[in-house]
Amino acid sequence: MGQKELKVAFLLALRSLQRGSRSSTLLTILIIGMCFTNMIFLPSMFSGIGQSITQQLIDYEVSNVLVSPKSGEQYITDLDATLDLINGMPGVQRASPQYSKGATFKYRQRLLGVSVRAISPMDEKEVSPVYTKMVAGSYLGEGDTGEIIIGKPIAGDASVRQEDEFQPSLGGVRVGDSVTVEFGNGYTKDYRVKGIYLTGWSPVDNAAFVTRTDMELVEGTTLDKANYITVRAKPGYSEQFIKNELLAYGVGVNGNVQTMTDLLSKSVGKVLQSFAIINAVSLVVSVIITTVVLFIVITIKTLNSRKQIGVLKAIGVDKEVIMHNYGFQVIILGILGIILGIIITLALAAYMSVHPIVTPEWSAYLYLTPMDLVINSVILFCAAAVAGYVPAYQVSREEIQNAMRA
Amino acid sequence: MIEITDLRKIYRMGNVEVRALDGVTLTIEKGEFLGIMGPSGSGKSTLLHMLGLLDLPTSGRIVIDDMDISRFTDYEKTMFRLYKLGYVFQDYALVPDLTVMENVSLPAMLRKDRTEEQTKKDSFSILQKIGLCDRRDHLPRELSGGQQQRVSLARAMVNKPDILFADEPCANLDTENSRVVLELFKEINESMHQTIVMVSHEDWHKEYFHRIVRMRDGRIVSDGINDAPKTTA
Repeated sequence: MGQKELKVAFLLALRSLQRGSRSSTLLTILIIGMCFTNMIFLPSMFSGIGQSITQQLIDYEVSNVLVSPKSGEQYITDLDATLDLINGMPGVQRASPQYSKGATFKYRQRLLGVSVRAISPMDEKEVSPVYTKMVAGSYLGEGDTGEIIIGKPIAGDASVRQEDEFQPSLGGVRVGDSVTVEFGNGYTKDYRVKGIYLTGWSPVDNAAFVTRTDMELVEGTTLDKANYITVRAKPGYSEQFIKNELLAYGVGVNGNVQTMTDLLSKSVGKVLQSFAIINAVSLVVSVIITTVVLFIVITIKTLNSRKQIGVLKAIGVDKEVIMHNYGFQVIILGILGIILGIIITLALAAYMSVHPIVTPEWSAYLYLTPMDLVINSVILFCAAAVAGYVPAYQVSREEIQNAMRA
Repeated sequence: MIEITDLRKIYRMGNVEVRALDGVTLTIEKGEFLGIMGPSGSGKSTLLHMLGLLDLPTSGRIVIDDMDISRFTDYEKTMFRLYKLGYVFQDYALVPDLTVMENVSLPAMLRKDRTEEQTKKDSFSILQKIGLCDRRDHLPRELSGGQQQRVSLARAMVNKPDILFADEPCANLDTENSRVVLELFKEINESMHQTIVMVSHEDWHKEYFHRIVRMRDGRIVSDGINDAPKTTA
């Protein structure tokens, strides 16, 4: 197959697309574009959910690195020294200790079991964005006592009857209201609700925060311990670097040091793995559908052109030229379809970044990387080429007389 | 020269056997304007298809310029059609998405011995000859039947083939356009000493042929020289 033959095949392809049925060409491009969107939409949405979960885990649970008690121990002890050590290390933005205690909240006639987390508000602000998620009132201040912030699901809604509630709540607590909190050790205290927040991350939204100063009153002693310490890395520092530094500085003696990635592989890693499997299956199904659709489209196109194919062969056009003519048509249609698909996908991604699909657990948006677009483009291009060349190969081998009689 | 020996073509449809060609033997000399005539179903188009390598005979032998074409591979047949043969079909058979110029150039574009410049020059020259130079950028659907058939003839002639086959080229044309097309064939035959084999069932076409082969039921029933062929004015 020489350059001249390829040139003629390309000319025939180009002219067929330029001067053939415009609606058929546009429809084929649209079909390929939609196939591309179909291929990339679901996996990107799962990736978006995965990213959303990961980000929420970083923001509200573990930050970049989590220091937890050593195996068999309930708390990290010698907290002040440990915090000083961590905060003084290169690459660490801030470390924030958390101490949790179970409690029963009482508001009017309602009782609700809630986990109360004691924090240092200044530290916590540097590690977690909960302070930006206040829907009413304000965040805790350093040294606040007798004040509490609670999640929106705990506060509840006064307009919803108790039996109609999706999950139990205090039935409409407002900022400034007083809530009686009875801790597990029997200590009972009335707290003024300083703020109500809603992060969208269920474990945090179903908890309440007080200051460590307040928790010391509950415990009746200086609180030099924590259930865990979340460590935020400065921009440009990797989690692994921080972990290595923490271990090198001996933090590993007092606690177990894990990066977010370590934890992710243990906890939501399985969920993300499931997403990856669903993505792979979805991709295979999409590719099959795409190939079949394109095969049908090109088969119809070639069958409608059988007479012309017969004529071309009769005047001395080689079957390879005829085959490549349809091959080039598919390649051109494929490229245009992929470009359209990319535009549709990017438009959807842009729209969903502003209007994500919000569920009680996470917000779903399309998470796309340039590599996703490249890989899906290559896959679709190959599928289109196969789907185009197979019918073109078949029809180009037809006997001249049979083709011309069509 | 074309030598056909005991050519047979049998179509089998279930138990029914149709002998489209039943032992045709014929020799066509270089430069002849041969008309194959006969009623519908007499086998004249089938014979033309065999000669033009568009179909395979059931048995028999075709030798063109001392080459036994039954020995050709598929690719060799294609190249032979491209370099040595030209075709004009009843329904013009132009590529609808190509302009007149592109349709005419198409066979020449595939020839390895022609440059792009030569192809353009030859196509332009042949379009001038058939008087459609001013329509070179038009699509076939923008032309009349007669004009389309002239373009078809130009496409067949662009590679200066050894033999030109025409399968009822005037079947879809009125008498006036038929005459224009037949005059062109005549002129090409005379000026270029072009071998032309034309199938026709219109009796008045015979005035253009040098030699007339009449067929019936797949056999040649007469083969004679036309004593007074029409000459170009």
